[in-house]
Amino acid sequence: MSKYVSKMSELKIELDKKPSVLKGNYSPQDWWDLPVEFHDGNWCFPGKPEVLQELGFPNPRKWAATDADWQLPADWKKTISDGLQSRLKKYRSMKLFLDSCIRCGACADKCHFFLGTGDPKNMPVLRAELLRSVYRNDFPLVEKILKGFSGARQLTPEVIKEWHMYFNQCTECRRCSVFCPLGIDTAEITMLVRELLNLIGVNNNWILAPVANCNRTGNHLGIEPHTFVQNIESLADDVKELTGVAVNPTFNRKGAEVLFITPSGDVFGDPGVYTMMGYMLLFHHVGLDYTISTYASEGGNFGMFTSNDMMKKINAKMYHEAERLGVKWMLGGECGHMWRVVNQYMSTMNGPADFLEQPVSPITGTRFSNAAATKMVHIVEFTADLIHHKKLKLDPKRNDHLRTTFHDSCNIARGMGMFEEPRYVLNNVCNTFHEMPENTIREKTFCCGSGSGLNAEEYMEIRMKGGLPRAHAVKYVKERHKVDSLVTICAIDRASLTPLMKYWNPGVAVYGLHELVGNALIMDGEKKRTTDLRENTMAGFEDGGDDEE
Amino acid sequence: MDTTLVNFLATNKKVILKQWLDSSLDLFPEKMSSSTPVGEVFSAALEEILSVLGKNHTTCRAPLENVTRILAVQSFPPSKALSMFLDLKIILRQMMMKSNEADISRQEIDSSCIDQLLLDAFDSYMSHREKIYQLKVEEGNRRMFMALRRAEA
Repeated sequence: MSKYVSKMSELKIELDKKPSVLKGNYSPQDWWDLPVEFHDGNWCFPGKPEVLQELGFPNPRKWAATDADWQLPADWKKTISDGLQSRLKKYRSMKLFLDSCIRCGACADKCHFFLGTGDPKNMPVLRAELLRSVYRNDFPLVEKILKGFSGARQLTPEVIKEWHMYFNQCTECRRCSVFCPLGIDTAEITMLVRELLNLIGVNNNWILAPVANCNRTGNHLGIEPHTFVQNIESLADDVKELTGVAVNPTFNRKGAEVLFITPSGDVFGDPGVYTMMGYMLLFHHVGLDYTISTYASEGGNFGMFTSNDMMKKINAKMYHEAERLGVKWMLGGECGHMWRVVNQYMSTMNGPADFLEQPVSPITGTRFSNAAATKMVHIVEFTADLIHHKKLKLDPKRNDHLRTTFHDSCNIARGMGMFEEPRYVLNNVCNTFHEMPENTIREKTFCCGSGSGLNAEEYMEIRMKGGLPRAHAVKYVKERHKVDSLVTICAIDRASLTPLMKYWNPGVAVYGLHELVGNALIMDGEKKRTTDLRENTMAGFEDGGDDEE
Repeated sequence: MDTTLVNFLATNKKVILKQWLDSSLDLFPEKMSSSTPVGEVFSAALEEILSVLGKNHTTCRAPLENVTRILAVQSFPPSKALSMFLDLKIILRQMMMKSNEADISRQEIDSSCIDQLLLDAFDSYMSHREKIYQLKVEEGNRRMFMALRRAEA
């Protein structure tokens, strides 16, 4: 036997003592003894009763996470227990995820929330253990034999509070899964627990209000069709004013070749609207025959953060509308979780979309075989293909006023495996791209800290902590390369990285990739352009005030 | 300039830094690891503060900003957050007691630059709290960008 093998006596001490993962005041205690304390800034406002009623969701009531009594329904324990059992039968993967963890801890320091908060329950292994410990309790025989050893515990209201706290300090980004030797998808464990919590009315209004709005009017903010059209036309007016080019988006047009669906943040919010202007310039530039729907007016799908059934229902609008309009295929805008839903779940949830054709770029003839099942192409793939075939007239100098880095959106990187295309596009539309450190990009990208419906204002402190690792990596390129522009391809990133940068890295602004594409595009018949789509002066193009309006 | 203190800091910087960093990372519920982003920022900032402390308090402001920016979003209250600057006093006092410099320096520590450091930290901490509320307002406005634009037109 090797001399390096641990001695039996040493192992016995370790086994007897069961050294705690905890330090400081709690070191003599078990991890579940750590108190759960809600206070302003660490919980999201719960779903409003009227929102739940609209969705037909259980237990609508007024409550707050800081209340001692959460007014759970009388049979809440049975609901959770039955809910877990039925889902374990339905999703074989979930059973594997719960059974196969070997507690190796490879995931522990990979979570941005753990790095930002230092809270041990934010180690993905321990966060999942919050559920596993209850799951293990459902096997009475094993529990009897190994009581106190197997780490099983009873389901109590305190456990529910703990779940609510920590499964809302997970953005379903899946960075931990990249490092898991067993391939456990911790994001799906979070999805499952949030689904269980919704069964007893423990929820988040910032998720459920958009779900209700999508359900009724088709987009997160509940913008009705006429306003949706008005917003986009107003942005088209801006494009005309800035470039002299009239882009003419159409709406609900039957027989268009392509249905374009983008997150609605691009239609109502700053800075998403500048990305929308970029899309319209691009489509005009290549003469794409596209239309925008006021029914399927949302790329995002907060159903994913609520329940499988809700995700499926909201997603179904895309195929229904594509079929109604008789388009050939669908093109999707810059969004994060939209692409996890589209790329990983859509074709099995709501497919097969046999009324659509396999997408073929009408400009280059490229057949997007990767989208053969879903019939939906990512805008960045579409644009990268156009650039590769030299179909775009671009002047990257028009983005010389920006010094850029690129944030890989979690769901695009880890949910789609798309790493090269955005970099290829970015390198063709600007001259100043600098990568962040290797362990913070591509499949190892750090989340913005606000994904999966946690972008609530009242949650700002937690978001700032969760986003710290990402901000830290941006700081690195800011200091070394004077980077002042964080480019991304996700609507939640555009919204949430903006305050994150203002807090941790003042002076760094956030851009959508297609906003930079829009800046760089040399349009036929354009006027002399001196400002970018945000009306900021472009370096080297300041002269010639004769174009002033 | 507090020459005695400055000299003492210069001679014992490594030990003081280790103790101060340890006690500061202990503020976090389960003691933040020094290899996290928080740990890295704290290590760099506390070292910088110690190297200029007692010379010119305005030069402490940049590293102080970095530390208080982290403190201002933690769950623990401001009083606990800012106690890390009082901890520095205690650390210095204990170390000086061990050496023979207690008499000359005790009064200096009590009254001088560490108090100023604490006051500067308070200003900085508050500016970050203000920033958080400002971000909340701005975020709401950005989300309503098109609606507000129409309303203003």
